[in-house]
Amino acid sequence: MTGKIRRADIWTLVTFAGFAIVVVFLIYPLFDIFRYSFIDKESGEVSLANWIQFFSKKYYLRAFTNSLFIAIATTFFSIMLGIPLAFFTTRYRIAGSTFLTTLSVLALLSPTFIGAYSWITMLGKNGFLRAMFQSIGVTLPQIYGPLGIILADTLQYYPFISLMTAGALMTVDRSLEEASENLGARPRRIFFDVTLPMVLPSVTGGALIVFMMSLSNFGTPMIIGGNFLVLPTLAYNLFTSEISETPGMASTVSIILMLCASIVIVLQQWLASRRKYASMLVNRPMVKILKGVRSLVAHVLCYGIVFLSTLPLAVIVYYSFRKTSGPVFKPGFSLDSYRQIFFDVPKTVTNSFLYSLAAVLLIAIVGTLLGFVIARKKSGVVKMLDSLLMIPYMVPGTVLGIGFIVAFNRPPIYLTGTAIIIILTYFIRRLPYSVRSAASILKQIDPALEEAGINLGSPPGRTFRTITLPLMQGGIISGAIMSWVTSMNELSASILLYVGQTMTMPIKIYLLVVDGFFGTASAMSTILLVVTGVSMYIVNKYFSKGGETFISA
Amino acid sequence: MHAIRIIGVEKNFGEVKALSNIHLGIEKGEFFTLLGPSGCGKTTLLRTIAGFCRQDKGDIYIENELINDVPAYQRNTAMVFQNYAVFPHMTVFDNVAYGLRVRRLPKEVIAQKVKTALRSVHLEGFEQRTPDKLSGGQQQRVGLARAMAIEPRVLLFDEPLSNLDAKLRIEMREEIKAVQKSLGITSIYVTHDQEEALVISDRIAVMNQGRIQQIGKPWEIYRDPQNIFVANFVGKINMLTLKLGQSAGSGYRQASLGDITLNIPAQGTEQLDSIIAAFRPEDVVEVRSTDRRNTITGFLRTVSFMGSVARFEVDVEGQTLTIDRHRPRETDIPPIHSQVVFSVPPESILLFDPVSGKRLGKGERS
Repeated sequence: MTGKIRRADIWTLVTFAGFAIVVVFLIYPLFDIFRYSFIDKESGEVSLANWIQFFSKKYYLRAFTNSLFIAIATTFFSIMLGIPLAFFTTRYRIAGSTFLTTLSVLALLSPTFIGAYSWITMLGKNGFLRAMFQSIGVTLPQIYGPLGIILADTLQYYPFISLMTAGALMTVDRSLEEASENLGARPRRIFFDVTLPMVLPSVTGGALIVFMMSLSNFGTPMIIGGNFLVLPTLAYNLFTSEISETPGMASTVSIILMLCASIVIVLQQWLASRRKYASMLVNRPMVKILKGVRSLVAHVLCYGIVFLSTLPLAVIVYYSFRKTSGPVFKPGFSLDSYRQIFFDVPKTVTNSFLYSLAAVLLIAIVGTLLGFVIARKKSGVVKMLDSLLMIPYMVPGTVLGIGFIVAFNRPPIYLTGTAIIIILTYFIRRLPYSVRSAASILKQIDPALEEAGINLGSPPGRTFRTITLPLMQGGIISGAIMSWVTSMNELSASILLYVGQTMTMPIKIYLLVVDGFFGTASAMSTILLVVTGVSMYIVNKYFSKGGETFISA
Repeated sequence: MHAIRIIGVEKNFGEVKALSNIHLGIEKGEFFTLLGPSGCGKTTLLRTIAGFCRQDKGDIYIENELINDVPAYQRNTAMVFQNYAVFPHMTVFDNVAYGLRVRRLPKEVIAQKVKTALRSVHLEGFEQRTPDKLSGGQQQRVGLARAMAIEPRVLLFDEPLSNLDAKLRIEMREEIKAVQKSLGITSIYVTHDQEEALVISDRIAVMNQGRIQQIGKPWEIYRDPQNIFVANFVGKINMLTLKLGQSAGSGYRQASLGDITLNIPAQGTEQLDSIIAAFRPEDVVEVRSTDRRNTITGFLRTVSFMGSVARFEVDVEGQTLTIDRHRPRETDIPPIHSQVVFSVPPESILLFDPVSGKRLGKGERS
């Protein structure tokens, strides 16, 4: 009995620590932003000035409508690309479809800003594709602005829809479609009456994620947006110009951005809670073999979509090996750009690796412990912690960055300019994913296994170590690797928090792009791509159960 | 001496009384079954014995040791789980060895005991397989071997066969019974399958709504049910509510429903106006005419041919009764809707109090 009491104490402690983390690193900074949004910049007094200004000035309102426009358009085009790709790769024999999935996941996980500036090198003022089209008499439209953002966002985020839809398509019970056919429905009818309704929850789930990602994306609009402001870039601009004052307007914009994100998240959660028809299926859908022209069309379509989305990455790798002289590319190849990184800014590279590693360790340990509490202990307090841990989903990186600066720039917690503040941002942004994944792994482990261990004479501690932990291991590691990838590529919060000493690779890439040093930027991006690719390969090879791992983990 | 004694155990889940006032004594080496519909408390009782739940009230003794406060891992009660609960990340050998390793036995002893356990469940040569390469039946054998290997004071079975297909279920229950008898380990077996319970058990406790309804040998449970619930739950039985009439002499009394008049044993019916009379489908005798005593006339609704018997559903006074014809031939099955006459021997009628549901009279058929 004493063992039981001691165990209860440990988990109570973990629960308490969970609350402490949420309060100090989320509620406190967010409350600060909230407070500042009601303080007038000139007088320093409490007022609604910022809010009135936001809704009365076209400049601000336009960023709001711009954001919605970009998110809606990106979602629409992502659906247009994602559904056909998912349908063809799961229902028809497409040669190399695993390869296609891998490439699209690579595009999805690569740093958001890389795609954007790669499109600039292709279609910007001096872009080689623009020049090519110009030479055959076609003038392409201006890439800076909404068009570029939508293009880059769509080609990065459509895999959310294709992967989730494909996952659902593969688990539609074949008997349902056969029943429909058996009752006299033709193929088109079967698709619209049975197949589509069954996968619709996954499509909408994916669409909401795309909407959310594109709404809170900072890197892409910053690099390719030009004068076209969206909420995250507006907040960033306001904040960096307001820094000496109280950041009132930036705070107001942050709150509005967060509200938009919250609505989407709430919608998504609501949908997720009532979705999923497919369960323990026996009959997997059949893969049809297409012949002749139909097969050709299907292949061209699938390869076209995926190659278009990986093209920016290929271009980056290519440019990283080009000869350069300062910002100018020269004919021929060399490793100059890489040399430059390792001689000029090696600290940036080591920073990225060290910070991400530290964050991942924190995330894995804290996430697993909190995940255990949430999955196995049912109480009102734990439920509350569970919902509080949803908050980071709703906080775009830019908003979290602003919150951290204003909150941790003064006693009692002074962290500005330290590595810790960057590690903490990585940690907080990924924590809910890690908690969720640990909890869902635990929910899949039959409690009878733990009972069997105990029943055979093994005390709870030994049972956790010999049964529960080994069964969770794969999930914890693959979740940690996913956290590693997102931390390595994090830009939107850390760009607000870095100082010279704590610069990371994504920040450096952004600065290099702004200054026009595409060669070095490409080399550094290639390093990030390789890290992303290798991590993905490890997850896929050792831990994965299909493409959905990359979305849910 | 009882191997297991349960005294006044109660358990509530919020408002729900999962177990109320459970008293049980289980003999050493006995195969004891808890039988009942889902939600009757049988699994809760088993899990309370294993130590996975703590009773709110009452005491549990294993071999005269009070185990109320002994944690589950020190109770030495090995369970065979419904979903097998075979550790998926261990080989068959490691699964069976798990409990032995926890007990820090020497390597050679473990190897020997694992071998013996696997032999007795016919899984020799499967040592290095992983569970995902085993069928459901084989996994459950691993579960059984794993439980046996630690030589527990009690073996607990939590509906171990319910995930297996019908044929395998019958095969496995024979095996479980044989293994249990050869080892002589006291066993408690939970099931909702009454046929399984009758076949496998030395004694059965029928449970409903957290209470024990009756404890007895399989024969007693089937032939001498103590209340309506047990009579209905175990086997098929017909029930008619009859108005009591005058005495029919020699210890019998008349009872009627519409045109039907039956002679029933009079004992215990003295104070009552009406009664529930019950009889099993196999106890009735089909007759040609209504001349004989205790006949019931009805119209044939359906016939189910089941091989050794043909089961007739017969409409009688607005109710449907079930009667069995043994060794049926296709030629002598009457046409549907035709009249059927059958007689119910008075001594095969069981009587129940319509208010309390309790059995009346002595169990003459036991």
